[in-house]
Amino acid sequence: MTQPSNEGPGNGGSNPPARQLTSCGDVSCELLVDPIPRPTPDPIKVTLKPRVAKVTFVDHHKPNSKLIMEYAQSVLRERGIEVNDEILIKADASVRMPEAMLQSLSGEGGLVLCGISD
Amino acid sequence: MTTYATLEDIENCMNNGWTDGLPVIPPYGSLVDEMLDAMGWQAHDIVGEIASQNIVVRAEKAAATAVMAGCKPEYGSLLRALTDGLLDPLLNLSGAEVTTGGAAILVIVSGPVVEELGFEHRANALGANCRANATVGRFAQMMRYFCGRGGGVLQSHGTIGHPGRISFCIAEHPKTEWGSYHTQYGLPEDASAVSLMSTEGPNSINNHYGDTGAQILDTIGDCMCHFGQTAWYYRSGGFVVVIPPDHMALVAKDFSRDQAREYIYENARRQTDQLAKVGRIAKAPIEFAEVEPGVLRSPLKNPEQLTFIECGGDGGRFSAVIPRWVGSTHAVCKQVV
Repeated sequence: MTQPSNEGPGNGGSNPPARQLTSCGDVSCELLVDPIPRPTPDPIKVTLKPRVAKVTFVDHHKPNSKLIMEYAQSVLRERGIEVNDEILIKADASVRMPEAMLQSLSGEGGLVLCGISD
Repeated sequence: MTTYATLEDIENCMNNGWTDGLPVIPPYGSLVDEMLDAMGWQAHDIVGEIASQNIVVRAEKAAATAVMAGCKPEYGSLLRALTDGLLDPLLNLSGAEVTTGGAAILVIVSGPVVEELGFEHRANALGANCRANATVGRFAQMMRYFCGRGGGVLQSHGTIGHPGRISFCIAEHPKTEWGSYHTQYGLPEDASAVSLMSTEGPNSINNHYGDTGAQILDTIGDCMCHFGQTAWYYRSGGFVVVIPPDHMALVAKDFSRDQAREYIYENARRQTDQLAKVGRIAKAPIEFAEVEPGVLRSPLKNPEQLTFIECGGDGGRFSAVIPRWVGSTHAVCKQVV
């Protein structure tokens, strides 16, 4: 039978799949080949509380997204939150933002709201 | 009992995330080695990258996935070409996996390999109960699922998806009226090929009483023009039109492939203002969408976004339209060698 090598079941929608499984039949044990490629660098770090109370929006061209973002800007300003006037543009929703933009936003320390879904 | 151990292995694969939702063949090392040989790769050969997720894909991952999907080693050459296509950055595998659009990877097999490997290309061609179609299509979806989610870091966000996300492989008739499907992507007529693109589910088209090619093409074009078609705004993907023999007999009598493509492009249109009125065009359209108020709008940006595949059984005047996913800006066609 198969033995998982990491903790807990991985069958939930949000749980990452097991990294290693071993099969032990009547005669011997055999390692199963993990079919799932994994990212090579460290996982992405997400900071939920920004260092600076300022919000920047990044648009990636979903329908009506700019209208929604402009509305969100006005609501935030009404609540006294500093909002960057410029809405930055990312060319495509399915790719990462350009490295220069990422580095620039990382350096600012504010909250970045990126993209509006369909 | 060895059999019992194997069933336990299947359950454990499923319980630990090594599955597309259906039972898999456990990827025992000996089976994966045999598949690697058939694909002509060494285990650690790099067969592709998903740069946006910092993922390098090695051959053993593809071979393990092929075993799990139930593919035979005899499919090795085809699976190698298919893997190359799946990991071609133009296909945007990760985008297809995580999009709200719920896209699947459509695999179209064409040329002599269809008969050599026993693909079904006649009855129920879009959902054939045939090992070659089912497992090759499943392999493509499992690769999308395993590779596209960044090793489990990302989540799939398809709003409704469609059944093709389990398996979606269509094989073309070995003999066609208009030439092999892959000739539309520049490969020679006598080649074997796999063509890939990310798509929504097929829309069925019924016309039993039309007796001209134009009537059949008008019916197909009308299906492409319903309000709900995703293509209306971005027009970045296009459509695959599936034409079985009974409809093909009428269409081919009056049209070449290029003429049919041009006919649909010119005639399948809808008033832009009507589309805007029901919310199918954004209130502040982006430049890329090329929205022109007051004119008839095609769901195609150009005729080349329309391709035709000839498959399906005799009897029954049905066709189908398969809309490509809006993020499917490119199809990928690879020769099987």
